[in-house]
Amino acid sequence: MGNETEYAIEVEHLSKRYGGDLAVNNISFKVRKGEVFALLGPNGAGKTTTVEIIETIRRPTSGKVRLLGMDVTRKKYDIVRRIGVLPQGFSSFDRITVRETMEYYSRLFGHSHTDIDELIALVNLTDKTGEQYTTLSGGLKQRLGIAIALVNDPEVVFLDEPTTGLDPRARRQVWDVLLGLKKKGKTVFLTTHYMEEAELLADTVAIISKGSAIAMGSPDQLIEGNADYLLLTLQSVDPRALEIIAQMGFTPEQDNRAILVRVAQTDDIRKILNAIEDGGASFLSMDVRKPNLEQVFLKLTGEALHQDTVGEQGAQ
Amino acid sequence: MNLRVVGANLVVSLKSFYREKTAMFFTTMFPILLILVFGTIFMDDDKLHFNLYLQDLDQTDASAEIAEALAATGKLNIITVDPAVDAAKSTEDSKANLVLVIPKGYQESFMQYLQFGDPNAFVTLSYVYDPSSSSVVEKMQLLDGVFAAINQRLSAKPPFIRTTEVSIHTRKYRFLEFFIPGIIAMAIMTESLFGTVHVNTELRQKGIIRKLATTPITRADWILANILHQFILAVISTTLMLLVSYAVFGIQLDINAWLPLFIVLAVFSFVGIGMVLTRIVKEAQSASAAANAIMFPMMFLSGSFFPLEMMPDFLQSFAKTLPLYYLNEGLRAAMVVNDSVTALHNAAVIGAFAAVVFILGLVVTQWEEGA
Repeated sequence: MGNETEYAIEVEHLSKRYGGDLAVNNISFKVRKGEVFALLGPNGAGKTTTVEIIETIRRPTSGKVRLLGMDVTRKKYDIVRRIGVLPQGFSSFDRITVRETMEYYSRLFGHSHTDIDELIALVNLTDKTGEQYTTLSGGLKQRLGIAIALVNDPEVVFLDEPTTGLDPRARRQVWDVLLGLKKKGKTVFLTTHYMEEAELLADTVAIISKGSAIAMGSPDQLIEGNADYLLLTLQSVDPRALEIIAQMGFTPEQDNRAILVRVAQTDDIRKILNAIEDGGASFLSMDVRKPNLEQVFLKLTGEALHQDTVGEQGAQ
Repeated sequence: MNLRVVGANLVVSLKSFYREKTAMFFTTMFPILLILVFGTIFMDDDKLHFNLYLQDLDQTDASAEIAEALAATGKLNIITVDPAVDAAKSTEDSKANLVLVIPKGYQESFMQYLQFGDPNAFVTLSYVYDPSSSSVVEKMQLLDGVFAAINQRLSAKPPFIRTTEVSIHTRKYRFLEFFIPGIIAMAIMTESLFGTVHVNTELRQKGIIRKLATTPITRADWILANILHQFILAVISTTLMLLVSYAVFGIQLDINAWLPLFIVLAVFSFVGIGMVLTRIVKEAQSASAAANAIMFPMMFLSGSFFPLEMMPDFLQSFAKTLPLYYLNEGLRAAMVVNDSVTALHNAAVIGAFAAVVFILGLVVTQWEEGA
């Protein structure tokens, strides 16, 4: 048993190299007990490699990782008893039912007292207990994966891209389960490339890009720290407004019948609205907001968080 | 080693196998189908029977006696060919692989030989045959034997060289009794090797092994569960094969302690090969191809289906480097002729092989690093 600290996870100067490729480059961070920590980054950023090193599946090339005070390279079998893992692209035995799968993992951990029915109910699979894994939909499979990750009543739960590939409804169902874990006070380590997932669930977000951590803090802190502008959106606007705003020295962008303008301060908004009115143009509604994590990420890394963002938002 | 964990894995493996009906059918029924097919073909192997097409151009009493002598062997069913047709064409058209032609003038030559004792008198019977037919050689040897006996009788002298059969065993064995141990060995190899490779590569590809690497299960627990799973399948499969063989063909094989010992050694050997293959081949589809590439040559070169004596010397030498050869020989020694010394020798060889290949498999099996 290692030294217990206030941190569930401590990562110091972690690097992982595959041949000539540096997948993780000198990353350091700490995760407090009871918090939801999200590792946010695009595909190939090094999220899964980082989390698999912490989960004891992979060995680091250099650096130190301590989980619940224990060195992950030396205490694998002590650590795995105290963590729960939903790996990326979770899968299970095709012909084994939901209940049998839960019983199987419960036996692996030697948790004869586990209330399997309660866990199945927690992920809303009570009416599917007799169904074989192969017959479940993608969302149900992910929820089973989360239930399995909780079968040993873990202190730290790792969820590697838990909603990737799910439709919006299934994604929200998984989020409900994760919010339940948060309420229970579990330490949750979440990797995702969905900005809204991190914003909704995480107490702390670390942004990772090309193997390096480039920013860390609460979602609000990250937005505050990197939002040096406001975003004004004018809906159903008269086309003449675009010209008026441009003449004022701003750089408006047209998005269908809306105009988006980045402004440095609230006074600029008043000036723009006055100019539109004076120019005889009109608009139906307006909206002023700070940038979100996605825009912060774009600013910090210069790359989109995930390629299907636009398509998915359009679909929704 | 944690027996609770091993037991949990074993239960999941057996349930998965039982519920995968197609895989279960082919695993257990394929060897039984082979036994039924070959058993039916060779059921009356002592009563070898051929159709013989006979064209009698002489149409005399003497030539008719030839046909009677051939029929009297009990191994030939005589079918008459019209003397007016061409024998070669008849062979081709009727798909008869051999037509025996008695030439015109047979009786005349026969009488000359018999009555006048003319030592230069002779007659030539023709075998008009299709060389592409596999059974034609055997048929000609049978006819040669019949005609040699007739010639011997005509010479009116008793044969100088005579033969007698002295078996080293107390009873006569049937082909099936040698065949079934070979099929048992082949089935154990197929199930253990293919099962190990297929299941492990599929679970690895699906990420289940990665998930298991974050639980308290160890590599040893996993491998032991796999061994037990394969052993249970091998016992079930062997039992079914023996039951069908006894019930349908009434075979007589000795079931003794050697049988479970050989099953254990075979399972360790072929699971070991499977573990090594799993390390080398990453994709489930490629793994099946790789397993087949190892199994099929071994199946045909190790004497499972036919005797090694039929193969060239270098292949016979090569066969003795294959574990399936020793399993075949060991099972036959134990089950057919009850020869414990030979069984022990073969068990020792396959046991040594099992130890080496299984330890190699243990060493190369990955559990961490996304094994």
